Amino acid sequence: MELLMPGLGLIFWMTIAFAVVLYILKKYAWQPILQILNAREKELAKSFSDAKHIEYEMSQLDVAKSKKIAEAEKSYKEIVAKAEADADLIIEEAKQKAREEAQEIGEKAEEMILQYKKEAYSQIKEQLSSLSLELAEQVLLEEFSDRGRNRQYVSKLLDKMNVN
Amino acid sequence: MREEIHGRSKSTWLWKVLCLSLLVFLSSAASYGAIDNVQVSDNDEGKQFDARSVIIDHVLDSYEWHLLDIGEKDITIHLPVILFYESSLYVFSSRRFEHGEASHKNFAIADEGRRKGRVIRVLDDGQTPDPEAATIYDLSMTKTVLAVFIASFLLCWLFVSVGKKYRGADVYSTPKGLPLLFEPLILFVRDQIAILAIGPDRYQRFMPYLLTAFFFIFFNNLLGLVPFFPGGVNITGNISVTFVLAMFTFFFTHWYANKHYWKQMFNMPGVPVFLKFPVPILPLVEVMGAFIKPFTLMIRLFANMTAGHMVILSLTSLIFVLGSVSALIGYSVSPLTVLFLVFLNFLKILVSFLQAYIFTLFSAFFFGMAVPKGAH
Repeated sequence: MELLMPGLGLIFWMTIAFAVVLYILKKYAWQPILQILNAREKELAKSFSDAKHIEYEMSQLDVAKSKKIAEAEKSYKEIVAKAEADADLIIEEAKQKAREEAQEIGEKAEEMILQYKKEAYSQIKEQLSSLSLELAEQVLLEEFSDRGRNRQYVSKLLDKMNVN
Repeated sequence: MREEIHGRSKSTWLWKVLCLSLLVFLSSAASYGAIDNVQVSDNDEGKQFDARSVIIDHVLDSYEWHLLDIGEKDITIHLPVILFYESSLYVFSSRRFEHGEASHKNFAIADEGRRKGRVIRVLDDGQTPDPEAATIYDLSMTKTVLAVFIASFLLCWLFVSVGKKYRGADVYSTPKGLPLLFEPLILFVRDQIAILAIGPDRYQRFMPYLLTAFFFIFFNNLLGLVPFFPGGVNITGNISVTFVLAMFTFFFTHWYANKHYWKQMFNMPGVPVFLKFPVPILPLVEVMGAFIKPFTLMIRLFANMTAGHMVILSLTSLIFVLGSVSALIGYSVSPLTVLFLVFLNFLKILVSFLQAYIFTLFSAFFFGMAVPKGAH
């Protein structure tokens, strides 16, 4: 058979054989294989983008986390500062109150002392007056017991007046 | 780590040399057997070595499949001859032709002329061609047809078993065994041929044909390198086979061609009117191009594979040509030739892949041209 002359029989059988091979392979080989390959690729692409997405979200979470931490720190500091200020205020108030109370107590004590003093004075005065009266009474009684002398004194006194 | 690998490769080196030597021995022995047979059966003298007829006979199709000779016993598959002649069917074994020496029912194999090597109608003497013979429709199961059938069966069996592993498989499963071997090639055809040449949105419908064509050509190229049955037949170096493959490309190109393609062919937009009317120069060129494209596919594959077979056979024949001059020269030249043959066989493995790749890539380019987007 000549090299360059296509033969009818071979063309006929080859066409049939190749068509059958094409059909069988298309149905039983290429379709399932390509289907799996495409599905796998899709799945991989999806997983990849998912991973990327998760990575992004994670980084976002990190940012949010550090933000939250910073916020917490800030508010903690604020709270502490406020508490300190409050405590100072309370202490100051207490001190003030104590001071006032002390002052009040002092004043009351002074008042009471004064009163006691007054009372003591008046008692002393009373006792003193009654005592002096008693003494005066004794003296007078004593003085009046000696009549002669009194007469002398009175005449003396009358003498003085006569002079005048 | 590196030391370990180095040590291991050293220990297997001997085995590799042994295997390679065996391969060389087998291939040279097979070639020797094939040529020795031709010497006995085709040459009447039995002494003169005719390299030309050896090479041409091997490259061409035949009505019988000579397997090998064991001593004087020659093992040949006589294939059925199927003929339609004057609306009657003739089916008989090619044994009746007695290696082209005899005629049967006024049919014989032509020694010369346009149908040399094919069945012609002869006169009652069994030799003279019948001058008034009608057309013979020769649908014989020749050597190449049988080889195509065997290769097709093997190909189907191979890939259906691969496909079975994929059917209903888990998306995340790792390919093992045969799928692991073929998946890179399938992905190569898809990514480096189909998507590259046709485009990522329109390549899908061409995938079955491209994959089938690629593996059919690749498989048959490799099978043609195997020196024993069922290999050794020059399938992809046969012009009828490449013709059919090119026709499939032609068919799918025009079956799936869209309206932009047809418009481009008959009424190319953006060119001056005088190129299209009254003398349709451009449409003529385009129509010719539509046929020339698959024609180039046909010739390229055929010529490359046939040339490869011829080079290998020529080198093998060299031993016997020189050996017929002097046995000493034949023997002394043979180791060198065999070494070169080994190199050529490796080259042919590369060419097998390359030609399958080129045929598929160009087919894909033609498909890509048939489904333009029409944006321009």
